[in-house]
Amino acid sequence: MKLFDPTSKPVERAVELAPRPASLRGLRLGLVDNTKFNSDTLLAKLAERLARRHGMTVTATSRKRSPSHEIDEAAVKTLRAQADLVVSGIGD
Amino acid sequence: MHGVTTDAAQDPRELIEAYYEAGWTDGLPVVPPTDASVEAMLAAGRFRGDEIIGEIAGRNTVVAADKVAINAVMAGCKPEYLPVVVAALKGLCHPDFAYHGPASSTGGSAMVLVVNGPIVRALGINSGNNAFGQGHRPNATIGRAVRLTMMNVMNTRPGLLDRATLGNPGKYSFCFAEHEDDHPWEPLHVARGLRPTDSAVTVYASNSLYQVYNQLAATPEPLLRCFADALSNLGIPNMKGYNQALLVLAGEHAEIMRSSGWSRRKAQEFIVEHAQRTVADFKRAGRLPGAVEAGDETAPRRLFERPDDLLIVCAGGRAGSWSACLPGWGNKWTKAVTTLIEIPGGHA
Repeated sequence: MKLFDPTSKPVERAVELAPRPASLRGLRLGLVDNTKFNSDTLLAKLAERLARRHGMTVTATSRKRSPSHEIDEAAVKTLRAQADLVVSGIGD
Repeated sequence: MHGVTTDAAQDPRELIEAYYEAGWTDGLPVVPPTDASVEAMLAAGRFRGDEIIGEIAGRNTVVAADKVAINAVMAGCKPEYLPVVVAALKGLCHPDFAYHGPASSTGGSAMVLVVNGPIVRALGINSGNNAFGQGHRPNATIGRAVRLTMMNVMNTRPGLLDRATLGNPGKYSFCFAEHEDDHPWEPLHVARGLRPTDSAVTVYASNSLYQVYNQLAATPEPLLRCFADALSNLGIPNMKGYNQALLVLAGEHAEIMRSSGWSRRKAQEFIVEHAQRTVADFKRAGRLPGAVEAGDETAPRRLFERPDDLLIVCAGGRAGSWSACLPGWGNKWTKAVTTLIEIPGGHA
């Protein structure tokens, strides 16, 4: 007798992590707002704190179409070119 | 050819238990597939086993026909149901549906399937009495096959990438047909651009269902005010941004609309206008931030932006003063998607 496996594994995709910065001092900061309630407020507060503590500057911001949608390629390209470090948020 | 050999005994009870132990069920017993039943399922849709039904890049998900067939057998589908299951899954994979949110959210949406066209009669999908309830095999098993495929193939397991806080019973299965006879207007799939002779399934994410009762109304205005009120209560999930809503007119309410001569557009516009509360109401309930300020008591806040955001269908028994509304998940983060059901040989 056989069992029929109804499952599929997620397709494997190679993901290369960006190199971790040795220091946050003076880095260019990118923000990705996923449009969840208060996500813009939280990211702005976080950016203020990073600026105060580490001299970081917000150089690129992106607002997603919705939390349910992926960030678009154009925004990724901009963030890659204009920011050293990106913070995305938020969840429930 | 699709399975793995196990030492499971021939006893069906033990086989069913083996599917439980593997974590492959929705909590109800499944129909154990066989080579013959899986092949029959694929043949009904004229699919190759490795044919790709859909993909969702953000979840690294690929939906292949053989896995859909296995899940459809497990759900209890007849082979001829498969084209409906496949069309629904294509809808879930459509970019406009934006699957990740409604599938994973704490809101715990049911994927509501509304079936239209000749296939409804051909398969016997219930559109009448107890349209949302139990007792009809295609309704129960088509919706179940979609949910099992979501769990087993689309990586949507409770506690993992299904983070529903409460969920709802419609997450087991939620499939019904539109009652197209004596409809006040054209059926849903025609309103959304298909031909009356087409068969289609519309997928729509909703985390709740309210029944709307009114036994006295004899004209559209008081009846539609009840819908507008139900869709603008203080606990409604999505008052921050505009959304879609599904309205299901049943029985006597459908007759009121049909005999009134109101167009679909007029009914939609009426609800857009009346589904509103004041900013003060929402602030007092903590649904908007800040204290109530001068002007908030009279400042209206509408729940819907455009008439087309209200999807209106007919279903249910002829008798009774009950209808229903199903608020959509998210603030237009997902949209209902209507997909043509491709029927090999056009038998429906």
